Amino acid sequence: MALQVKVPAVGESISEVTIANWLKKDGDTVQLDEVIAELESDKATFELTAQSAGVLKIVKQQGETVPIGEVICEIESNGQATQPAKTQSTTPVSTGQSTPKATGGVKEMKVPAVGESITEVTISTWLKKDGDVVQIDDIIAEVESDKATFELPAEATGILRIVAKEKETLPIGGLICKIEITDGAPVSSAKSSSTPATSNNSGDKTYAAGHPSPAAAKILDEKGIQSSQVQGTGVGGRITKDDAQKAQSTPAKTENKSAATPPVIASGGTRGERREKMTSLRKTIAKRLVSVKNETAMLTTFNEVDMKPVMDLRSRYKDQFKEKYGVGLGFMSFFAKAVCAALKEFPAVNASIDKDEVIFHDYCDISIAVSTPRGLVVPVIRNAESLSFNQIESEVVRLATRGRDGKLSIEEMTGGTFSITNGGVFGSMLSTPILNPPQSAILGMHNIVERAVVKNGEVVVRPIMYLALSYDHRIVDGRESVSFLVRVKEMLEDPGRLILGV
Amino acid sequence: MQYNVTVIGSGPGGYVAAIRCAQLGFKTAIIEKYDTLGGTCLNVGCIPSKALLDSSEHFINAKEHFAEHGIDIPSPKVNIGQMIKRKGDVVKANVDGIAFLMKKNKIDVHKGIGSFVDKNTIKVTSADGKETTLTTEKVIIATGSKPTPLPFAPFDKKRIISSTEALELKEVPKHMIVIGGGVIGMELGSVYARIGSKVTVVEFLDSLIPTMDGTLGKELQKIAKKMGMDLFLGHKVTAVESKGNEVIVKAEPKNGGNAIELKGDYCLVSIGRRPYTDGLGLDKVGIDTVKGQIPVDDHLKTKVDNIYAIGDVVRGAMLAHKAEEEGVFVAEKLAGQKPHIHYQLIPGVVYTWPEVASVGYTEEQLKEQGRAYKVGSFPYKALGRARASMDTDGLVKILADKQSDEILGVHIIGARAADMIAAGVTAMEFRASAEDVARMSHAHPTYMEAVKEACLAATANRAIHM
Repeated sequence: MALQVKVPAVGESISEVTIANWLKKDGDTVQLDEVIAELESDKATFELTAQSAGVLKIVKQQGETVPIGEVICEIESNGQATQPAKTQSTTPVSTGQSTPKATGGVKEMKVPAVGESITEVTISTWLKKDGDVVQIDDIIAEVESDKATFELPAEATGILRIVAKEKETLPIGGLICKIEITDGAPVSSAKSSSTPATSNNSGDKTYAAGHPSPAAAKILDEKGIQSSQVQGTGVGGRITKDDAQKAQSTPAKTENKSAATPPVIASGGTRGERREKMTSLRKTIAKRLVSVKNETAMLTTFNEVDMKPVMDLRSRYKDQFKEKYGVGLGFMSFFAKAVCAALKEFPAVNASIDKDEVIFHDYCDISIAVSTPRGLVVPVIRNAESLSFNQIESEVVRLATRGRDGKLSIEEMTGGTFSITNGGVFGSMLSTPILNPPQSAILGMHNIVERAVVKNGEVVVRPIMYLALSYDHRIVDGRESVSFLVRVKEMLEDPGRLILGV
Repeated sequence: MQYNVTVIGSGPGGYVAAIRCAQLGFKTAIIEKYDTLGGTCLNVGCIPSKALLDSSEHFINAKEHFAEHGIDIPSPKVNIGQMIKRKGDVVKANVDGIAFLMKKNKIDVHKGIGSFVDKNTIKVTSADGKETTLTTEKVIIATGSKPTPLPFAPFDKKRIISSTEALELKEVPKHMIVIGGGVIGMELGSVYARIGSKVTVVEFLDSLIPTMDGTLGKELQKIAKKMGMDLFLGHKVTAVESKGNEVIVKAEPKNGGNAIELKGDYCLVSIGRRPYTDGLGLDKVGIDTVKGQIPVDDHLKTKVDNIYAIGDVVRGAMLAHKAEEEGVFVAEKLAGQKPHIHYQLIPGVVYTWPEVASVGYTEEQLKEQGRAYKVGSFPYKALGRARASMDTDGLVKILADKQSDEILGVHIIGARAADMIAAGVTAMEFRASAEDVARMSHAHPTYMEAVKEACLAATANRAIHM
């Protein structure tokens, strides 16, 4: 039988790849894991390996751009299809209803390369059970890396044999499961292997699952229920009129709880609520934030900066700066430079823990938190210590734009050594930022407010920003963190120090 | 007089909207400027043209096919006066039916030209100049469309005619020149071709019924030629001149070449229709038309909060059944319901004989989208029922998604295509796959078997009877 090789999901923000080079020709015999082609995304080039041994049949030509999940080529597994079913008798089939014929072929599914910087993934959920009959492309598991969650489609049709258990962490290339290949789906006949089985079986997930009939669509809309919240009982999981009529907007489960809520007071306002499934990105964010709170000794130190010197400098030169470099002079470059200088003096703040060792970094890769429509992302300014003000400003603009457009690659978001977050843009006066692991510290910027401060015994009005530094007390001591923040403050209040390094 | 809803225009969009409004409990009025209800569709469009199409079809059967069926009759002759009269009777029965439905649903009919005074007030001026003022909470504009004239040759309604006059001719034209090979031109052209007129079609684009799937246009072209029509595709008309009893049409190939000159006794101009809003007083409520159309949002609401518009005056295909769906849609919206219209699944139909009908994406559109698709087609020739009836022209073509097998388009040319397309709409509304339809029992012997066979062909190239 032919295995369809699809474009693997190579990263969160990558939706298509270009075939840079076929390393094998149409009709070539290829070995398992042999590199057969080079693919290019807008960020990186990576290699496509054969997912089984057999004869290569090229579907997409060199130079073609192919969306994630599309078939690029097929591999005809030679011999296997014609071999008698050796393992048939020893294969217990758990689904009593039908006995798909084992072909003797076993597809070993390994962790795909999901991005350049990702070395391991965790099996978060098995959606199919050991011994289940799975169809090619059925989503069988949810897998997550430290950046994102993705779905794992079955690479063959057959009986699932789970190797890696839920919550197990595997390196790229690690064995996840085996699929004992069966010939054809149980229900459909003859040559329909190229077409999905069109289910006499309403449990089957098809492309039409969750599609409401015209009458059902109207009823659901009027009830304010999304079709994704309704389990369709029609052919192929379609939502029938009856399904829609029976659908309830509030799940019955929560009704018991509502006894504890205060009694409803009759009022004019509507009291509707709605439930939405958390996206995998949101789930990942949620899990990681909680784990940081649990697994680090995080605390926050505060200080305040008189922004007048920086603001004066900025207003004096911002036009010239803009004219010369084509990018505006913002505060971020001052903060990044001040932070880099301070990090040099207090290397622990720029370090991270790896098991029993502490990794000190000679470079400053500064992660900057950017709010995007899909959630918070933290792209990295590399070697910020060696960049000039204008280089930092243009990098900030570039990363923020890509973030807003959802175009940031995983590489661009991986590997910072220190983070800066600016809650001030939303008007935050003071906050305690959460660490971005495995980093050990994060600087929180806030809004600039004119406050009465005492200078040389006199009360004067100055533009003041509060600064917060959250740090991991496991490797950063109070003396270092507080001194670090004081250094940042000093350099911002007297930018000349930035030049002189004093 | 005070109403919840006032509908302006009583075509298939307007009267259906009015009935649905009444069903939902609104006090409803409908305004019509002509003497009879039903608009273009019932009076000078769908219904009368179908009446003549059937008459001409009977004639051609009597003339050409009866002998083969074993029915010997003297050579039949066309009595155009009777044909037009019967058509008139059919129209009358239908428009009377609408009048009855208005009464049954307690909808007030106001005859005259409806014109906005302000957004809640409409003045109706009847033919004798009497004015009535209606106050209304909501308004549905359903004023339809009119045939578009050629800019250099306005309708003289005697020799240079629109579809309206073509349905009222007193004689069988000797040579009818049809400008525009779209739906209306082909329908009326084929009527006159069958009752003995020489028919010449001049079309600017390179195919007939150019908005439909290319296969259908090509098939229709073959059938038209078989019928004896002359076709000049890719020709641009440069002049139309009426000289008493003769019309001269000049055209030239748009890609260069020799100009042609056609002489006929009638010239049917069927180059399209334009939205009709004359006398509606849209300026009184601040609505500006765009290319003649009334701009509306997804709920068919105009920029004025209580005024909606449906049918040919708004964007989308100019089809009676599209207007009807929109009429129901707006009425239900007004009642706080949440109806849907899948515009992609509104079928297009051409009532030539054989008929042409289509729903979903055309092959050209799928190519343009770069979508991977499969094609399955099945000819009428291979169908027992079609052979029995001697209606062997045509085919069914199914387009399905290459991976999922979901049906993406159904295109039929052949006898009963217009009725058969409903099955395609049903299948697509439920997102059926080609194999789903192929696995459903279809009665034998029927024309619908061609749909099943084409679905088998699309599923995995396994039609049975081919």
